[in-house]
Amino acid sequence: MSAVELTPAEAARWAARAGLVLPAERHAAVAAVADHIHRVVAVLRELDLADVPPAAAYRAGQEEHDAAA
Amino acid sequence: MQPHELSLAEAADAIRARRLSPVELVDSVLGRVEEAEPHLGAYVTVAAEQARRAAAEAEHEVAQGCYRGPLHGIPMALKDLIDVSGMPTTASSRVRAGHRATADSAVAARLGAAGAILLGKTHTHEFAFGLTTPQTRNAWDPGRVAGGSSGGSAVAVASGTATFALGTDTGGSIRVPAALNGVVGLKPTYGLVPRHGVTSLSWSLDHVGPITRTVEDAALVLTALAGHDPRDPASLSAPAADYRPGPATDLTGLRVGLPRTYYFDHVHPQVEAAVRSAVAQLEALGAQLVEVDIPMTRYIQATQWGLMVPEAGSYHEGSLRTVPERYQEDVRILLEASELMSAGDYLRAQRARTLMRAEWARMLERVDVIAAPTVPMPAVRADEQTVTWPDGTTESVSDAYVRLCAPANITGVPALTVPVGHDAAGMPIGLQLLGRPLDEPTLLRVGHAYQQTRPGPRGHTVRSRVSSPSP
Repeated sequence: MSAVELTPAEAARWAARAGLVLPAERHAAVAAVADHIHRVVAVLRELDLADVPPAAAYRAGQEEHDAAA
Repeated sequence: MQPHELSLAEAADAIRARRLSPVELVDSVLGRVEEAEPHLGAYVTVAAEQARRAAAEAEHEVAQGCYRGPLHGIPMALKDLIDVSGMPTTASSRVRAGHRATADSAVAARLGAAGAILLGKTHTHEFAFGLTTPQTRNAWDPGRVAGGSSGGSAVAVASGTATFALGTDTGGSIRVPAALNGVVGLKPTYGLVPRHGVTSLSWSLDHVGPITRTVEDAALVLTALAGHDPRDPASLSAPAADYRPGPATDLTGLRVGLPRTYYFDHVHPQVEAAVRSAVAQLEALGAQLVEVDIPMTRYIQATQWGLMVPEAGSYHEGSLRTVPERYQEDVRILLEASELMSAGDYLRAQRARTLMRAEWARMLERVDVIAAPTVPMPAVRADEQTVTWPDGTTESVSDAYVRLCAPANITGVPALTVPVGHDAAGMPIGLQLLGRPLDEPTLLRVGHAYQQTRPGPRGHTVRSRVSSPSP
C-alpha cells in the first residue's frame, strides 16, 4: 500500500465526513475501489491547466478557449 | 418479409401508401415479442394493449388522410430511464420500486406527437451505470453480453421486437450495445436532443438518441427528437432540420480521418480488419483518407471517470443513504467510492475537458469525419470480466467497451455506429463515425452511403437464431 492509499478505516471516516455511514463489512472494498478511481483520475495532475476554465456548462458547437496543454 | 422485419423507412412508406396498417405492423411486432422475448429479456414492461389501442387510432388517422409523417404508426421501445406519463421508470433497479412518472419526458412527448407507438420499456444496466445489461441476452448469441447500458433497446431492435428504440449514452451506452448486436446507434451532439424527463447518470456526459436497423431510420428518428427545450439546461437552440439523407452515394471531396493513434490500439484483429475494410469502401465511394493523431489520449479515461463518477454519486446521494441495499453490488460500490473523490479531482476533469474539446475542434478542421472502431472487441461471453491483449495487458470488459466511445461524450461531438461485419464466431462489428458538433447530416450521409453500397444482413440472421436458440 502506498502512502496515499486509503485504509479501510480512513475510507469509513471520509465517507462519514460526506454524510455516508458505511457498514463495517464494506470499508475495505470501498477503500479499494476509491483507490482505483484515484489512481485513474490522478493522471490529470500532469496537465498544466494554467487559466483553463472548467467546462461544467458549455455548448458543444462553440469554441472559445485557446489554452494549451 | 414479415412486417416486424421492415426497417422504419420501409414500414413508413407502406403505411403512407396504405399497403400496411399500423394495426398489422404492431400485431406483427407484438407476435415477434411473444416469440423472442422469453429468450432475450430485452423488456422491463410490454404495454401490448395500450400499443394495440394506439395502433387502431393511428390506422384511423391515416385512413382519414391525417398522416403525421414517417413515425406515424411505428412501434418503438424506450430505455427504462425515459419517463412516460403514468408508467414506472424503473431504471432496471429495485431502488425505483413504486415509481410512477407523472409526465412525459421531452423525447417521449415528441415521439408521441410524431405518431410513434410505444410498445414498452427496455432494460438498462442498473441506472445506466455499466456496460453489459446482465438482464438481457445478446440477440445473436444468448451466451454473450447484450452490451450496455441500453442493452434492452439494442437487442429489441436487432431481434425484431421493436422497429426502433431510444437509448442513452454517457460513455458509449447507445453505441456499445448497438455495435454488439449489429444495429445502428446515434449519439447526437451534446444538447441537440433534450433530456428533460430522462434519468441522469452524469449530467455533463448524458445524451439521448436512436437505435435503429439502418442509418436512414436513425435520421428519421433524430428529425423527430432534435430541437430546443428550455427544461434541459444543456439544450441547444439549433433550428429544426430534416436529417433524412439523400440517395447519393458519391463521397467525392469528403475527408475521412483515419486515426494513427488510440482507436486501433488494443483492438481485436477481426474488428480492425472489418473497420479498415469499411473505410476502404468509403474511399472507393470517393472519400479522401487523411491520417490524424488523436489528441490527449492519455487523459481520456481520467477525464471520463473524473466527470462521471462524482456526478453519478451526486445524483444518487439521497437514495444511497436511505435504501443502499436496493442497489446491485457493482453500482452500489461505485456510488459509495464516489463520495471519497475531491472537488479538485472533479474540477480538474472539467478543465481537462475544456482542453480536449479545443484539441478535437482543431483536429476536426482537417477532416469531415473520423472513422474508427466503435468497440475494441465483439460481444464477450456473459461470464467474462476481463480481456487480455497480445502484449499481456489486461483490461476490464467495461473499460474496454467504454474506451473508444468516451471521447465523443467528453467533447460532445456526434458519433454514429454502423454494422460493418462479423467476427469468426458470427458476432457483429461496428464502425464508428465521429463528426463536428451539429454535423449529424454528414455522419448520416456517410453512414447511409455505406449501407446502400454494402448492405448488411440487418438482423435476418438474428431472427432465425433467436427462434431456435441453441441449448
